[in-house]
Amino acid sequence: MKLAAPSATQVTYTQLRWVCVCLALALAVHAASLPLWLLATVAAAAAIRLALSARGYAAPSRPIRTLIALASILILFLQLRTFNGVAAGSALLSLVAGLKLLETQSRRDLYVVSLIIYFLCLAALLRSESFWLLAYLLAVSWLTTATLLRFSHSMQPPDWRRSARYAGRISAQALPLALVLWLFFPRFDAPLWRTPSDGRSAETGLSDSMSPGDITQLALSDDIAFRVHFDGPTPPAAERYWRGPVLHDFDGRTWRRTVAFRNAVPGLLAMGPDYHYVLSLEPHQHNWIFALDWPDGWNLGDAYLTSDYMLVRPALLSRPIDVSVSSHTRVQAAEPLSDVMRRRDTRLPAERNPRTSQLALELRRAHPKDLDYVNAVLDLFRRQPFFYTLEPPPLGLNSVDEFLFDTRRGFCGHYASAFATLMRAAGIPARVVTGYHGGTYNRFADYWIVGQSDAHAWDEVWLEGRGWVRFDPTSAVAPGRVEAGLEGSLTASSHLAGRWQRLSWLSDARLRLDALRQLWRERILGFDQRSQNQLLTSIGIPEPDGQKVAMVMGVGLTLVFVWLTWQIRREQRPDPKDPVVRAYDKLCRKLAAAGLARRPYEGAESFAARVAIERPDLGAPVGALCRRYSRLRYGASRRPAAARWFVARVRAFKPRRAARERTNPG
Amino acid sequence: MKIERRRIYILPTRFGLMLVALLVAMLVAGLNYNSNLALAFAFFMVSMVLVAMHHCHRNLLGLTVDVKVEVDAFAGADAIFYFMLRNESAVDRRDIEVRLGTVEAMQSVATGSYEEVMLAVSVANRGVSRWSQFELRTTYPFGWFRAWTYVHSPLTAFVAPSPHGSRPLPAAAAAVGESARSESRGDEDFAGLRSYSPGIPLKHMAWKTLARGGEAAVRVYSDLGTRPEWLEWSSLDGLDTEARLSQLCRWIAECESGHPRPYGLRLPETDIPPGRGAAHRSRCQRALASHGIPAP
Repeated sequence: MKLAAPSATQVTYTQLRWVCVCLALALAVHAASLPLWLLATVAAAAAIRLALSARGYAAPSRPIRTLIALASILILFLQLRTFNGVAAGSALLSLVAGLKLLETQSRRDLYVVSLIIYFLCLAALLRSESFWLLAYLLAVSWLTTATLLRFSHSMQPPDWRRSARYAGRISAQALPLALVLWLFFPRFDAPLWRTPSDGRSAETGLSDSMSPGDITQLALSDDIAFRVHFDGPTPPAAERYWRGPVLHDFDGRTWRRTVAFRNAVPGLLAMGPDYHYVLSLEPHQHNWIFALDWPDGWNLGDAYLTSDYMLVRPALLSRPIDVSVSSHTRVQAAEPLSDVMRRRDTRLPAERNPRTSQLALELRRAHPKDLDYVNAVLDLFRRQPFFYTLEPPPLGLNSVDEFLFDTRRGFCGHYASAFATLMRAAGIPARVVTGYHGGTYNRFADYWIVGQSDAHAWDEVWLEGRGWVRFDPTSAVAPGRVEAGLEGSLTASSHLAGRWQRLSWLSDARLRLDALRQLWRERILGFDQRSQNQLLTSIGIPEPDGQKVAMVMGVGLTLVFVWLTWQIRREQRPDPKDPVVRAYDKLCRKLAAAGLARRPYEGAESFAARVAIERPDLGAPVGALCRRYSRLRYGASRRPAAARWFVARVRAFKPRRAARERTNPG
Repeated sequence: MKIERRRIYILPTRFGLMLVALLVAMLVAGLNYNSNLALAFAFFMVSMVLVAMHHCHRNLLGLTVDVKVEVDAFAGADAIFYFMLRNESAVDRRDIEVRLGTVEAMQSVATGSYEEVMLAVSVANRGVSRWSQFELRTTYPFGWFRAWTYVHSPLTAFVAPSPHGSRPLPAAAAAVGESARSESRGDEDFAGLRSYSPGIPLKHMAWKTLARGGEAAVRVYSDLGTRPEWLEWSSLDGLDTEARLSQLCRWIAECESGHPRPYGLRLPETDIPPGRGAAHRSRCQRALASHGIPAP
């Protein structure tokens, strides 16, 4: 019995410690993006508060707390310049959690901290979409819930195992409900409002410019650029060029894409077969989509084709997206080259690369026909001692001259740049295309993995009567590069050899893992309105739309609630089949018939005590039965033999009616 | 009585409202960033809150509560109500708060078990205090929701006057007078001791008991013990109503203390025939408590 008012809400050391643990676990996933001083501040706040609490002191006084809070929030704002966006928002929340911890006095303060922990978990999921992160954060929220259960108890809290189990039970019961909500809650294609993109992943992959050495760095990367699943036939390796930024402007060293080409797209005549595929793009913080050369259909409403056939969308790809695209790998121009484009794609910087210009003039005199000239240049790469290496010597401002005549060692970017320069110097329109080439087939799940190491640069040359024709000068140097990918051409020469061999030793496991990752991406991360409609169709609802999805959600929620109510009702009454309970009820009925009704508030033993007073003749047998009942029902062990004995004894028990009514005195 | 489903109300607490705001923020963030994982987490939290609401409701649902609806008390002290909470369900019920007026107490009841909750309501004045209902409430499990129910069971506290007064028991006074007349009283008449009250002649004091360190007591004789004592309103001239009631209450206590003897109570509107024991005492005290107070 406890008379103490439940207002004893003072925070204890244990509660504080557990809340600190939960907060630390939630902060751990944000640690990489938080300023170091902020983490230190939060840690110090927690440590100070814990130390004070361990010695039985209250929180620091209000002026000190206010000063610390204002100062740290100001510093954070000066550093970030904004509190908008996920990174800044989580930084602010983390700081507030630490400050709140410092001033924690009552249970209500801990409640606030617990809410912040929940929100930090969610914020982490806005920045990363890995399965393991979700699992980890669900575990953190479960622990937080268990902690909450412990400190929201006004009375003696249950022990850890029990509260963890109870929090787990509530979480488990929440899962079906969450599933229905997740499956059928309406999704929006466009965000409700734009938030600053805060670099949810570092910028990797191609950029809209190319200097010597740029792609070399990509080739060293282990990251995945995108995955492709072909519906139907797969184009041959020599035609799998994934088109990225097309570069037009050259300053002698760097190729740039300086102007957006959002005007009329010159028509193309499709020559070869049509390929259909789904691209699963990793975020790369640019707006282009790596479609197979040359795209002619896609399912992203806001995506469009530039006049140099890049597939782009207005927004940056800061989140993984899936796009269905169809492409022709062989095309022919249907229109002549516009003068603007011709001028742009034959322009060269005047004072740069003089030796190259000289070479071009000489070659052009020998080969007046454009195609002959192109072949002569390719021949040059093939005949001359050009080497293919990931560690090319550094180049200066006249990069093409230095490469063609001095170093003769380079990567795809060097060759593409030199080739385009030679073309332009001869008056032939040419441009550099960057993108990816090839890919690794995942035989475990029928899709291709295109990694950053597949990054490539090639050229397109305008040939009258044919249009833009792709030439890959790198293949003239190391033909194996085009056929087998980077690994094949580098095995002998590079220090990378060991790494790639190790990877190939692992590759089966890696491919399987990647297949799972892709499944996760397709089914979970990529779940959208279309998937909802497909889901509805698959459960037999024709022509699904938003309204039908909402109706299905309503039905689903009702079913889950009925299930939940049933679950809870089931626990409401004791197991009616329990023979001990039934026997006890029978005993009470027999005694009631003998004039000794059990009062509603009487437990078994107090009932027995009253029986012993009112009917001393029944005291011993009823007392024994009731004691046995208590032990069977509330005791730790329940031996079936003891239960049977009890049932048999109750059956045999026959109380006589009282011989005479006892009269009350007075 | 058993708590019915329809009688249970449930609303979020202040903490619960903060949580609801957080859930809305989570949903908006998930939708805005179009992140399926964030949405999954947000929906998980929403569902957990809904399940917790069910559990909070369930914590009261089907609980059986019984209370002795009439209790006795003395003015200036506490009226004490005992609530018997019985949990016949297969799960523990935790943190059940019983509230009567402004007084509350909390109790957990394990599965298949029962617990008693005591509420001490302080009552200042003599009279009959009535409550039309009491309240059971709980914020279990997380303090996000408060479920409560009103149990419409009229509770009554008969607040007897606090026992005061210095007048001796009428019969004692008479007995003392009688013993003064016949000094020679045999030992066989000696019936026992009862506690001393002012006004009894000193020669009846049990000096030996006092000398041994016991309390002040007076010797009583057998005829004193068996003859019913009539505690009469009319015998207390010169006192106001409350003082008369207090004196009567004190007399009742005196008759019941030590070696109890039968006594009857005569009030202007009530006559209670002589008797003794807890039930009789309670009857008499209730008569005092409700003197001059109309029945509801």
